[in-house]
Amino acid sequence: MKDLVKKLSESFGPSGSEDQIRQIIRSEVEQYADEVRVDSMGSLICRVAPKAAAPGAAAKRIMVDAHMDEIGIVVSYIDDKGFLRFSPVGGLNPHVLLGQRVVFGNGVVGVFGTEKLDDIKDLKFDKMFIDIGARDRAEAQAKVRVGDAAVMLASFADMGCRVSGKAMDDRIACAVVIEAMRRSRPKLHEVYYVFAVQEELGLRGARTAAYGINPDVGIAVDVTLWGDTPEHAPFNVSLGGGAAIKAKDSSLIAHPAVKNLMIDTAEKNGIPYQLEVLERGGTDAGAIALTREGVPSGTISIPCRYVHTPAEMVDMGDVDACVRLLAAMVEELASPAGGGIL
Amino acid sequence: MHLADARGVTGYESPAWDGVNSLFADLVDEIRRDPLGSAIMWKKGAAKEPPARIMFAAHLDEIGMIVSKIEDEGFLRIWMMGGVDRRILPSMEVTVHGRRDLHGVIGAIPPHLQDSSKKDKSWKWDELTVDCGMPADRLRELVRVGDVISFDRRAIGLANDRIAGKSMDDRAGIAVMYEAARELQKLSHDCDVFFVATVQEEVGYGGGITSTFGVMPDIGIAIDVGHGNMPGVPEHEALKLGGGPAISFGPHVHPHIFSKLKETAEDRGIPYQVEPGTSPRGTDAYAMQMTRSGVATGLLSVPLRYMHTSVETLSLGDVKKSGQLLAYFASAVDSRFREGLTCF
Repeated sequence: MKDLVKKLSESFGPSGSEDQIRQIIRSEVEQYADEVRVDSMGSLICRVAPKAAAPGAAAKRIMVDAHMDEIGIVVSYIDDKGFLRFSPVGGLNPHVLLGQRVVFGNGVVGVFGTEKLDDIKDLKFDKMFIDIGARDRAEAQAKVRVGDAAVMLASFADMGCRVSGKAMDDRIACAVVIEAMRRSRPKLHEVYYVFAVQEELGLRGARTAAYGINPDVGIAVDVTLWGDTPEHAPFNVSLGGGAAIKAKDSSLIAHPAVKNLMIDTAEKNGIPYQLEVLERGGTDAGAIALTREGVPSGTISIPCRYVHTPAEMVDMGDVDACVRLLAAMVEELASPAGGGIL
Repeated sequence: MHLADARGVTGYESPAWDGVNSLFADLVDEIRRDPLGSAIMWKKGAAKEPPARIMFAAHLDEIGMIVSKIEDEGFLRIWMMGGVDRRILPSMEVTVHGRRDLHGVIGAIPPHLQDSSKKDKSWKWDELTVDCGMPADRLRELVRVGDVISFDRRAIGLANDRIAGKSMDDRAGIAVMYEAARELQKLSHDCDVFFVATVQEEVGYGGGITSTFGVMPDIGIAIDVGHGNMPGVPEHEALKLGGGPAISFGPHVHPHIFSKLKETAEDRGIPYQVEPGTSPRGTDAYAMQMTRSGVATGLLSVPLRYMHTSVETLSLGDVKKSGQLLAYFASAVDSRFREGLTCF
């Protein structure tokens, strides 16, 4: 599992430029899916057919979603000395970028520099630039074009029971979904495993994927914040506390039936869990829930420290709990009782 | 008043649903709930050809709170469900909807003990807790993080047909639809009328988005509340309590719907006010207007004071007149009016 997490974490896939990460995920999941397609936004949609068709009625559709895009930057201007100006892609804090390196899709590496500042509090993106080691504009343009996106350059660190790296948001969830796909085969109903694009730009890939799939229930898997480091704001989620079951964030009020099924399923299977009310932030479930006539939806969250930095950290015990909970949820929903929802 | 007293915190509207169901059961032909929970109550029209479809939408949900953490000392940390003004929270009595309903109170640090620099400032969310009088271990048996909390406040009657209570935003709108449905029993109408009690309006009109997708109306009219006159609110920004329904106009409203509502009010001698909309957002009208290939929308506002407090105050006469106006409007809509909606 750690090998998969390392591979996904270190791959390239800023929002809107997900070609590389999509290829990597596709090669991991193709063998478990009955049909794999990519929608016009670029989301990877894997359909897994049931062992047996639902008797009488048409099969219902279960949508499981993790987003494969990551935050990054996009080049907005190249000056005559070969320095790049840039804009953030997704929610990025300029202070996080100091001393960091980025890598473009073609492997070109850049480092961040800043203009002269009277006070570090004045640091904004427009006071920063990227230096790719070019001596002038022509040399820079031979390597990078305006509109090219880059991601943080950060290697995966195995710390034992915890691991750290860039893009754990949301590649750790991609790993959870891939592993759950390996473990479960629905009895009834179809399961659509979606690796969505452009979540960091406003849940955009999940919105169109859900419209296309027209699911009867939706589960997003994403990271959430943490409340267990020194002098942190109160938050009911700790690293190592198990899978986090979301009640609310700013994009979604988890459907009570879906939330309760997650709690009951975790208890029935002895899976450690914690309950989450997130003040700010959203997940793809917010988009899925408002699709067409509405879709009962919920989110399984992986607790993650230092979200939206190159050093996001997760606990592999929590990851395992999330895999087990997701696989058990799919089995509950795809059973004749439909988890009381389908 | 019963409608206002029912509990239906946004996302958890089911407890408020029973009352609505029993009010409308005899007034409409069919009731269903969509997957998100909005109630769609259909009264069929008399037209032989495919009838025009009118959707009236008032939201069922109310603002409230959610348990975000249970502290070892037995206090519940809370977070808002919808736009809760935290200045009003200290001294509020609440119900925590746990395994069973529990009474709780929201206290505050007494001024004697408070840092003097903070005395004139509003409380922060992490300074507000709910006290149910229980130790943490007992509390954890009955309450989970993610359980919702509603305001404990019964509606009361004031003078001059005014009432005050929690969640008049937007149970007043549900009451308007009820009045309209009753009035419509006495009238003939060609069009199909859908009375929709939407969910999750307070967190981004989710129910308005999904129910409109399902109903596919030609015309959608949201019924919500507008700011009533009171000291400190400039006259030009306020609606007059008792002045009748406010008919809204602006980019969120189809000009023909605005004119037709005004015309109907004038023909029937119903007093009304007009309310300019400065932003298209903020009500279910926005959700309806932007659904599928677009819906011709209107917005009717019931004047209401002290929005998003537990003493939201309105005039029952305004509610009644709003309902009458909607019924006469529905009765006056025919296929010619519908066809005219795309003639600019």
